[in-house]
Amino acid sequence: MVTAAAVVALAPLILPLYLMTLVTEALILGLFAMSLDLMIGYTRLLSFGHAAAYGFGAYASGWLLLHTQLPMLLAVPLAALLTGFVAIGVAWVCTQATGVSFSMLTLAFAQLLYAVAFKWTSVTGGSDGLAGIPRRPGPFGLDAFISRSGFFYLVLIVLLGALAFCQALVRSPFGAVLRGIRENEAKTLALGYSTRRYKIAVVALAYGLGGLAGALYAPFAGFANTELLFWLLSGQVVIMVIIGGSGTLIGPILGAGFFLVVEHQLSNYTEAWALFFGLTFIAFVIFAPEGIWGLFTTRLTRDGAIPRVKPKEG
Amino acid sequence: MALLEIDELTRRFGGIVAVDRVTMRVAEGEVRAVIGPNGAGKSTLFNLITGVIKPSQGVVRFAGQRLTGLPTPRICQHGIARTFQLTALFPEMTARENARLAAQAGEHRRWLFVGGSALFADAGRRADTALERLGLAPIANRPAGLLSHGDQRLLEVAMALAQNPRLLLLDEPTQGLSVEETARAVETLSGLLADGGMTVLLVEHDMEVVFSLANKITVLHRGAVIADGTPQAIKNDAEVQRAYLGGFA
Repeated sequence: MVTAAAVVALAPLILPLYLMTLVTEALILGLFAMSLDLMIGYTRLLSFGHAAAYGFGAYASGWLLLHTQLPMLLAVPLAALLTGFVAIGVAWVCTQATGVSFSMLTLAFAQLLYAVAFKWTSVTGGSDGLAGIPRRPGPFGLDAFISRSGFFYLVLIVLLGALAFCQALVRSPFGAVLRGIRENEAKTLALGYSTRRYKIAVVALAYGLGGLAGALYAPFAGFANTELLFWLLSGQVVIMVIIGGSGTLIGPILGAGFFLVVEHQLSNYTEAWALFFGLTFIAFVIFAPEGIWGLFTTRLTRDGAIPRVKPKEG
Repeated sequence: MALLEIDELTRRFGGIVAVDRVTMRVAEGEVRAVIGPNGAGKSTLFNLITGVIKPSQGVVRFAGQRLTGLPTPRICQHGIARTFQLTALFPEMTARENARLAAQAGEHRRWLFVGGSALFADAGRRADTALERLGLAPIANRPAGLLSHGDQRLLEVAMALAQNPRLLLLDEPTQGLSVEETARAVETLSGLLADGGMTVLLVEHDMEVVFSLANKITVLHRGAVIADGTPQAIKNDAEVQRAYLGGFA
């Protein structure tokens, strides 16, 4: 893992410009997919509306950079915090339900946000979105991150930090409770855990990290539009998590990279690239349900990544 | 004062009275079996005590405090642990992780997510002790889903034990076990209970298990208590014989 990070860190020295942009975007999407893995992989909370986190983070940081004098290094974390804070309310509502109803409620919230972004033109720019989002330098002369390669390193540092944070989280007592909810929520409740509070907490964390990814995307791309809130992205990020390997944290990062590369390469050859990607997804679900990372490391037995055992019937 | 006080507890499901004005006292250190034919209301009684379902009438008090109306996790935090009639475990976690998750439920650090494995130290120790006491130490690192049914039943007891409960509710601990597995479970459990100090409420179908573990017995029939006393008194009770035991012993 350390070697992989080191290789990626050298990217700006060897890659042509357009590829470095692609890698930066892959890392941002990787952070986004990893945040969802906390819910899908570790708590078995399937969100169909994770784009809400991404889009909200992007709009929030975009708005802050356009309408305040905050430097990028403050606007981005502030937008992420805001996303996580709003997610507490969203989670409070969504966790009233379980299973499919939970998924539908997350989707409903994302669509609600999508509609708001469309209509509230004075703040969101409506169908045009927010454009010309600057990467404002500072504070304290920390200006190196606003250049193309500087921004790449910023994203890389944030991603590695978030990964370390999530890995500590899933191995902590809190993470053990999440896995309890994943495997047997009724039993977890019977042991004395208020499972709903844990679910609200993990949704807020996942949305906060997803919002962080979106908050980085806005100054990366220079714009934020309603596509970032669209259900298509919510579906795509679920696919990234599954293809990469849910419940592994690293897997979804690889899944995001895989998704982006395939989208990029296939779309050179055919307009129907999504069709072929769909087939790839189906193949993964059927033949390699443990995902890309699962193919690399079959059956880890460390803390956080217990081999999948099918529960006994009856 | 009794540790567990149940007064006039009633639960109706539509027209059916599953638990009918049950009043009972469980003293500290008692191993109390609740017996009765299928549908007598034994599991419903457990669900009422632990707040999984709400009573239609009546009150449950524990150590003088009213439990009725509290949500399940709060009731657990008063020091009541239970096992389920149908095995309920975390199949992908190891036996130790199962017990550890149970043990940490009472700790304030259960909310912490930074600090690494040191946070598990206390819970881990209690989990290991509980596994040891039920003879599960050799298989502590196996995923719970891969254990034999007998070991799974014992693991559930170990998890309940790891919570350091003041009252242990065991719902048919030998349910679905073979004759040999039952014998081993009874031996393990009676060894555990012989150490004393534990207050247990036990639901069990197997009369041999009941008479070898319990020191007090309550008999339920159609939701109501028809007898209450020592194992010897219950064996000799004519009404119990008629309703349930059918000539056992």
